[in-house]
Amino acid sequence: MTASADTDFADVAAGDAVRSLDSSIRTIWTIKMAAFSLLLFLPALFYDLTHLFSPDSWLPAGALSGTVLLGGVLYCVVWPRLRHRAWGFALRPEEIYMEHGVLQHVRTIVPLRRIQHVDVSQDLIEREFALGRLVVHTAGSRSSDVVIPGLPLSEAEAIRDKIKRFILEDPLTEEPV
Amino acid sequence: MPSPPTEPNSDGRPDTPPAPDRPPDDEAEPAPSETAEDAAATTLGAIREPQRLHPLTLLLRVGTSLPALVIILFPLLRNPGSTENVTSLVFGALYGAFALPAILLQYWRFSYRITPKQIVIQSGVLNRKNRSIPIERVQNIQIERNLVARLCGIAKVKLETAGSSSTEGSLAYVHQGEARKIRQVVRSFQRGAQEADAATSEDAADTETLLDMPLRRVLLSGAFRFSLLYLAVIFTVLELFNPEALVERVLRARGRVGWVSEIVFSHPALAILATVVAAVFLGWVSGIGVHVARYYNFRLWLDGDKLRKRHGLFTVTEGTVPLDKVQALILRTNPFMRAFGWYELKVQTVGLDVEEQGHRVIAPFAGAERILELARRVRSVELPESFAHVSRLTIRRRFIRYTAVWSALLLPTVYFWPADWLHLGGVALPWWGFGLVPFILGWAVLQYRNHTYAAGEDGFYIRRGVLSHYLWILPVEKFHVFHATASIFQRRLGLKTLFVDTAGAATFAYPEVIDAPAGEADAQFSALYRRFRQLYRGRMEAEAGVPGTRLAPSERPRLPVDEPPE
Repeated sequence: MTASADTDFADVAAGDAVRSLDSSIRTIWTIKMAAFSLLLFLPALFYDLTHLFSPDSWLPAGALSGTVLLGGVLYCVVWPRLRHRAWGFALRPEEIYMEHGVLQHVRTIVPLRRIQHVDVSQDLIEREFALGRLVVHTAGSRSSDVVIPGLPLSEAEAIRDKIKRFILEDPLTEEPV
Repeated sequence: MPSPPTEPNSDGRPDTPPAPDRPPDDEAEPAPSETAEDAAATTLGAIREPQRLHPLTLLLRVGTSLPALVIILFPLLRNPGSTENVTSLVFGALYGAFALPAILLQYWRFSYRITPKQIVIQSGVLNRKNRSIPIERVQNIQIERNLVARLCGIAKVKLETAGSSSTEGSLAYVHQGEARKIRQVVRSFQRGAQEADAATSEDAADTETLLDMPLRRVLLSGAFRFSLLYLAVIFTVLELFNPEALVERVLRARGRVGWVSEIVFSHPALAILATVVAAVFLGWVSGIGVHVARYYNFRLWLDGDKLRKRHGLFTVTEGTVPLDKVQALILRTNPFMRAFGWYELKVQTVGLDVEEQGHRVIAPFAGAERILELARRVRSVELPESFAHVSRLTIRRRFIRYTAVWSALLLPTVYFWPADWLHLGGVALPWWGFGLVPFILGWAVLQYRNHTYAAGEDGFYIRRGVLSHYLWILPVEKFHVFHATASIFQRRLGLKTLFVDTAGAATFAYPEVIDAPAGEADAQFSALYRRFRQLYRGRMEAEAGVPGTRLAPSERPRLPVDEPPE
């Protein structure tokens, strides 16, 4: 083993040289969370409106929908930022390293030779922002697909091609499982 | 239908079905390799012509569909004279007109063949399905023979691959000898033609029996598998047959039983005691019964580079596990077995068997020494001298967590407990549920005591379990994805959970290291990955001369690119 080989896995778990996601992923998350909050808010509003003039309401008027609205707005504003800050990934010569999670911190190493196949996917909102998601499939049970969201589409595709290249050029011909 | 099926031969022998709609890719196989493999194929008897299933399959399928017919005709059978039976007769006729031809057509339109590259199974009457399974993807070939199949001399062949979560292809049923031949052919194609001759004989010189279980051992083994599950099944079945009438008849028939039952019913405590004793006894006996039925005549042997086993009383199962497809080893023992030093050994494979949850029992019952010896035959296992405990703080975290969940369950019941329901000692009954809190603490302590881990040279060893003890052995070369996680509560206590994913791991009872001190977990996290990488670098060096990928430095995957690649 050469010295240079050693140095590039000194940082395996140190997480010093990680990249963060594209910042417009925050907007995408905000939109998605706003849609979710709206789903919660509408029933609350409906409840408040129907009980507006009822004499025996046990909540002051607008309390429920107000709370949901406040919580929803806070969620939409704060959560994407926290999530974006928590996200980091690195593509290294032999592995993908990633860390994410606001409440639950998760650090993951996916060795490139363990990858069964790689997809780049996009949903409707992501397409508007020209972002893509890298979906990495492994034979593991819990982590059978590992997702890196919020990459510029061209970059996601470049990563995908690099990983493919690595797998094709792997001198070991044994099966991945 | 593209081509009408011809009549089967009157002698009932499996003949080659007409008009094999071969997939186009098959024709495109390069001719030279085809001829080269043909030489091997002739000695092996590769099954190139599309084959039908065994004709007795028809009989068996009709047999299994008979219960449906009985249900349809039930009113008629009960009350033969009635005029209301017309509908059931119509349905019966419909059954005859559709179900039976469907079985026949399915049989005619089902064919399989095995080429050196793939197994092709064609099926379907209206929707033609053409499934080809690449030979090298086949992880396991299982031959199953239930009682009827054994009487008829036929067998079911199940082909499992890594990609799918269930059996990829199932041939039910083929002739018993044919089943063995299929397995041999597939295995020899996997190993390559040069070794093929060795594989043709069943008892070649390199077979070695690893474990034989005589009936006495199987009975003993069953005696340790007390299970209430089977009991529940028995009671459910009894439920269907109206047990009271049955019990009453038994009681009337025998005066002595009546006398016993009178005593038992004279006091509620006695009745409860009798029920518990009977339940325990029945659970024990049914456990033995089920165990013997499953593992009767258990034999495990090593055939070259694969493990093979055969067992079963009514349904004989024959399984093959190639040694290099073993993803992990699992040693298990329950409190009774542990008290006498008995263990069970399972291996984790990828083709997920629904019954065994991806785990294959290699040795149902053996002493500790024997089990370790067996495990060493499967993989190099060097049980580390000392195992490290997880952090003691795990007791606190688990205790708080379980208590919180338990309270969340109890408090609503306390709140909604009606005033006229049982109040023990002046408080509502659910309050007494909090009496279990000390036991929760005890459980958390036991979980801590039994949860240890160690990183050996060749693998990662994890021990877990309070009642059933588990020891997972994860070989370095089968590591897949590495995780280190810390929830918000774990971070407050400076703990982390470490998890090394393997292919085909069960979805429950993960081999996780829960609540290791954060620093230690992180160190272990990188150390395990480093070990994995070192192993594969060594292999790459052996293969290609350089310990790394063949890619030029500029082509290697690298992001972020703030530092220039060497």
